Amino acid sequence: MMNQQVISYPKDGPPTVIPNEWQVWDGQSDEGAPLNTSNLPHGRSKVLVPFDWWRIHNPAHHQNTDVRERANKGEIGVWFAADEDILKHSAIIEAGKTLWPVVGAHFPIFRDGRSFSTAALLRDRFSWEKQIRAIGDVLIDQLLQGARVGFDAFELRPDQNLDVALKQFDLFSVTTQNSWRAKRSLLEA
Amino acid sequence: MYKYDHIDQTLVNQRVAQFKDQVERRLNGTLAEEEFRPLRLQNGLYHQRHAYMLRVAIPYGLLSAKQLRTLAVISGKYDRGYGHFTTRQNIQFNWIELEQTPKILAELAKVQMHAIQTSGNCIRNITSDAFAGVAADESVDTRPICELLRQWSTLHPEFAHLPRKFKFAINGAKEDRTVLQCHDVGIELKKNTNGELLANLYAGGGMGRTPILGSLIKQDLPWQLLPSYLTALLRVYNRFGRRDNLYKARIKILVKALGPEEFARQVESEWEHLHSQSKNSSDNFTPAEWERVAKHFTKPAYKQLPSFSNSELVQQWQADIDPNERIGFVRWLERNTRSHQLSGYASVILSLKPHGTAAPGDATTAQMNAIADLSDQFSFGELRVTHEQNLVLADVQQSELLNLWRAAKKQNLVLPNIGLLTDLIACPGGDFCSLANAKSLPIAAAIQERFDDLDYLHDLGDISLNISGCINSCGHHHVGNIGVLGVDKDGEEWYQITLGGEQGNNTAIGKVIGPAFYANEIPAVITSLINTYVEKRWADESFIQTYRRLGPTPFKEAAYLHQGRRNKDKTEAFEASDISDAAKPVTAELI
Repeated sequence: MMNQQVISYPKDGPPTVIPNEWQVWDGQSDEGAPLNTSNLPHGRSKVLVPFDWWRIHNPAHHQNTDVRERANKGEIGVWFAADEDILKHSAIIEAGKTLWPVVGAHFPIFRDGRSFSTAALLRDRFSWEKQIRAIGDVLIDQLLQGARVGFDAFELRPDQNLDVALKQFDLFSVTTQNSWRAKRSLLEA
Repeated sequence: MYKYDHIDQTLVNQRVAQFKDQVERRLNGTLAEEEFRPLRLQNGLYHQRHAYMLRVAIPYGLLSAKQLRTLAVISGKYDRGYGHFTTRQNIQFNWIELEQTPKILAELAKVQMHAIQTSGNCIRNITSDAFAGVAADESVDTRPICELLRQWSTLHPEFAHLPRKFKFAINGAKEDRTVLQCHDVGIELKKNTNGELLANLYAGGGMGRTPILGSLIKQDLPWQLLPSYLTALLRVYNRFGRRDNLYKARIKILVKALGPEEFARQVESEWEHLHSQSKNSSDNFTPAEWERVAKHFTKPAYKQLPSFSNSELVQQWQADIDPNERIGFVRWLERNTRSHQLSGYASVILSLKPHGTAAPGDATTAQMNAIADLSDQFSFGELRVTHEQNLVLADVQQSELLNLWRAAKKQNLVLPNIGLLTDLIACPGGDFCSLANAKSLPIAAAIQERFDDLDYLHDLGDISLNISGCINSCGHHHVGNIGVLGVDKDGEEWYQITLGGEQGNNTAIGKVIGPAFYANEIPAVITSLINTYVEKRWADESFIQTYRRLGPTPFKEAAYLHQGRRNKDKTEAFEASDISDAAKPVTAELI
């Protein structure tokens, strides 16, 4: 189920609730069928497709002009599964930097921290500067950690209270290790 | 010892506020228990059999008198008048109400204490040598690095939800007192000929279901680079550690599956991107950070004093010591004191292992207050917690040892059993812990009662006996010369014996000797093992030395001999009716 709103928390601005423009497609409806746009979800123009699907079908080079056009229009991004080893696919991700407006990293369950490392690697290793969106089982109490490792957008699980969520980001005024957003307070001690 | 500045204090205060909000959301029902669970665990709060248990961190075992008095207050006000010191330099309160925890944490914050990351799948409390900074065999005082890494790991966002818990131990002495190789990461500190501080890192050690000793994966790492290297190491673990099976999720399983060389290679390859000759990682520690922390670990105001051997001390006090005090005091000097770096000083171990009258590692409210007073009076107001669940007064003038002994005796803290059979390690076990398969404390008490004769204990000499109530191994049974492990068989409590475990520089994992025993058989089995040692030992040979020389066979035979009808090769559990009443020792009512 899609959350109609997401929290946007850019590196240089406060967290706000904004309408959700990106539908996350699980890739499942495509199983076994030849690829065409009818496999992509309708109703929303912007879609995050599974990175795996992108990698296999590589729409940038695909015969299907509709998919390619949508990608070129900035309507397609990818999301990384928690077990995706993104370092194995550097070339595809480097190429994606000019094509995808948004990437997502998925939390199969809130207590699975692999996507924290995925986001950190995207920021550090790939110098990914556009949005990284947390998707899946995203709960209020993960937001602060997510915001520090490199996420700047959060599609919370629909039952989460967005007012409470917005209060999470400034709980701490000091830090004892560097993050994507700021160097540790200790350096100014 | 380390004192918080505004950064540390602010962080801990804000953490209390965060947890208070989480508890409120739990209590008003907006946060489900399943989702609250990892949050409370990351703040040391377990749900146990009777109540919540709160585990409070005593980072690398260092505690001030003021802090101990606060722990005493908490034990009296929110618990049932005692606290339990653990093998990993924490203290646990067993009778806590959820609603009270924010208040307790606020009280702790006032004395620069917290429960951050004392549980959960994150970097846990960093442990070290209880004698750091004072031990005669020390090469490097580990405390500044411990504190730097405590701060680095506190609320680390990327490693907040690791596959499983992650434990550090740090040693800087010739003799390892940290069980370094049984930790997820063990850091050995040393100095090179230029006086530069370097680290050797061992990874993939652990106890639990699959005990493994850590492998050396990195040598001579300059201390400044620890954060970037550890980030690489933890990132590899966070990404590739197993998450499909709770029992295979520790880093030891990953290191074993890949092989230590391949694991080290993967860490190195990740690290190259964070830090290299041409790129100094901004994660690395700076000289200013070292200074900020290290300035707190200077030597206290020691006096220049002459040094005495124990026999010289006894000689000096010949006239002062009452004849009926003499043997107790002499034994205490021998077993419960340790040599100090400085002439005229000694470190004193206060035994929290009375024979059967309290759980190993437990201290009452009154004892905690009294110990705080003793530390003020005799040891610059500071204390240490040992891996063996005792307390240390690290800086005692030798000339005060008799006064200290007399004062501590009033609180039942001078039993001269350190390193002896009854100085056993035990987890709280099935009496409290909902993970436990079996009780630990009645077993500990039964053994202590059976071996209550101090003459005999001193004759037996050094021997370690560790008891865990389940395979999670909180009682570190794998590294006991004798290990006792509680197991569940068809809903009944059984105990498996391991032999040959050892901590220290020859750390070894004990081996199971055969089928498990009933609780009431354990004191007799231990007696058989000890008798075997006494019969077969060579002069001055310790239990473990005799065991190493002879191997398990004679011990095994003795352990199963008293069971008469039992087939020692049979691994199946036998029926309760197989044991005659005569074979059941008198300790049965304790169980």
